Amino acid sequence: MSSRFERFALYLTVPAGLLVILLYALPILQVLALSLTEGSGALANYERLFTSRAVAKVVQTTLVVSVSTTFITMVIAYVIAFGMIHMSSGQRKLALLMVSIPFWVSVLVRAFAWITILRSQGLLNSGLMSLGAITEPIQLVYNRIGVTVGMVHYMVPFAVLLLYANLTDIDRRVVQAARSLGARPVTVFFRVWLPMSLPGIAVASLFILVFSLGFLITPALLGGGRTLMIAEYISVQISNTGRWDLATSLSTALLVVVGILLAIALRSPAMRAAFGGGAK
Amino acid sequence: MSNRFSKDAAEILLQKFQAGHVDRRGFLTALAAVGLGVALRPGTASAADNEVVLCNWGGAAVDAFQQAFGGPFTAKTGMKLVIDGAGPAIGSVRTMVDSGNVIWDVMDNGLIDAQVLSGGNYVEPIDYSIVDKNKVPGFSQEFGVGNYAFANVLFHNKKTTGVETLTDWKDFFDFEKIPGKRTMCKWIQGQLEFVLLADGVAPADLYPLDVDRAFAKLQPHLDNIIFWEGGAQSQQLFRDGEVVMGNIWHTRAKLLVQENPDYAITWNQNTLLISAWSVPRGNPAGKKVFEFINSALDPEPQITLLRLMGNGPTNPAAEALMTDEDRVFNPTSPANTKGQVLVQPAWYAEHEADVQNKFLDLIAT
Repeated sequence: MSSRFERFALYLTVPAGLLVILLYALPILQVLALSLTEGSGALANYERLFTSRAVAKVVQTTLVVSVSTTFITMVIAYVIAFGMIHMSSGQRKLALLMVSIPFWVSVLVRAFAWITILRSQGLLNSGLMSLGAITEPIQLVYNRIGVTVGMVHYMVPFAVLLLYANLTDIDRRVVQAARSLGARPVTVFFRVWLPMSLPGIAVASLFILVFSLGFLITPALLGGGRTLMIAEYISVQISNTGRWDLATSLSTALLVVVGILLAIALRSPAMRAAFGGGAK
Repeated sequence: MSNRFSKDAAEILLQKFQAGHVDRRGFLTALAAVGLGVALRPGTASAADNEVVLCNWGGAAVDAFQQAFGGPFTAKTGMKLVIDGAGPAIGSVRTMVDSGNVIWDVMDNGLIDAQVLSGGNYVEPIDYSIVDKNKVPGFSQEFGVGNYAFANVLFHNKKTTGVETLTDWKDFFDFEKIPGKRTMCKWIQGQLEFVLLADGVAPADLYPLDVDRAFAKLQPHLDNIIFWEGGAQSQQLFRDGEVVMGNIWHTRAKLLVQENPDYAITWNQNTLLISAWSVPRGNPAGKKVFEFINSALDPEPQITLLRLMGNGPTNPAAEALMTDEDRVFNPTSPANTKGQVLVQPAWYAEHEADVQNKFLDLIAT
């Protein structure tokens, strides 16, 4: 039933679509084109991505940091989201508000706040030292730990919202059925909640992972120069060393990898269920 | 890196203004003049006859440059200086010249940038029949002429190190005598020099830089070094007590010393970098830009800039016109040039991209 209203609604999206093409798709195509023509040509540019030891190290760091960020984020976010669906509606509103507060704080401010907390004479270290728990400050920032903390903090609200939406969709009658058949709460969690929330977990993990791959400011500030991830490496090649061949081929490769990840994920039934679930 | 320095100097000025250390009326007058200037910014076709467009790194440097260079230039020639704070990054210059849409006449870049840009034929040679190269002896090159200087200095906290004065860069690596974290810049211009000096290389033998030797000297100490990437960060690391010693820009060192007498600058063996005026190929004002450059190399404007932003004059005639107060933190005043090493643009123009990448690879865990 394609009504006039629906056609009108479709037209409303045209300006946004044009903007996306103009400001997003075209520049990406330009990056792709540059990666083929800059430097010593397409083949050499892409070949170097696989032969350069420095690139391999940057990719490895990015993967390790992104995967651990995703894992830690998911654990924390699941706990929060699971708690939220069991709250009264008033409590839940408050919880949602608290989850959203970090969205209002810029990523720069958050990075500096974490430095204040984690640095060697910061809140955490001096607190632990005055309690006698440690005698020497622990190095919590200007390394990979600091970067991961900052990234997890950034990603948790996203993951909570995604998981929360998925968990509220789970049919509570299944849970009641399990309880009425004598399942203990732990069994209910592992045999009912967890399996039924797998699509949500998959979507949220993928989202967090893809997002983490592109972090720029957080690693640059909390890493103390020693945690070099792909985005920063690309930015250095563009603005600092003028190696546009390396920068554009690496960004294109990153885009392709993310695209492949998404394509594979979308083929899995769990993902399709998650994305199809919204359409009803 | 001189780009990074220039931006940072502007940040410092803005903070000073906000804290009330810079005359408000002067600041606002300049702001109004520049606001008008930006609104009238010429397109390529309609560049006004009587103006020169300068591109610098924006922020408070727009007003400071207008005050330092615009006023005297207009008084002398009747031409107007228009400042665009967009930032003449190498990539932007390249894009602008390639597109044939050049709107800048003169750029605040480093001598190294000017040399790199000349490699791609993106800049005009400086016309030394108009620009008097004797104003800045040693700092005049084919494609760029030195407009101000800044230094990387050895800096420490007297309390946390327990040491009143440091001697030279050897102290940076002497973790036995002086334990505690250090900081240095993650952008290599002027950084490998100090590492090599600490390793015993004579100043005269520094160039070509022995990169492998510098890396070998740094490698064992990487866990004790935090790498800063902007001036504000270097200052914060000292304020937080995160580091006890480091290699930082003289402008940030000055701020730290002024706020806390526990800090000290060791000028010995500082490495001096030269920023430069350069002209993008096909600039709209043509040869008139060189009259501006010539006027901007006079001592008076350079002293104004020193007072506003801390950037050191490249014209030696400025020295006699300075007050003692000006000289204290000026990297080109004789009291501060002992053991000073002038960073060689030619070496960086050729090797920087490659060595910078190797350096990032070295320090990454």
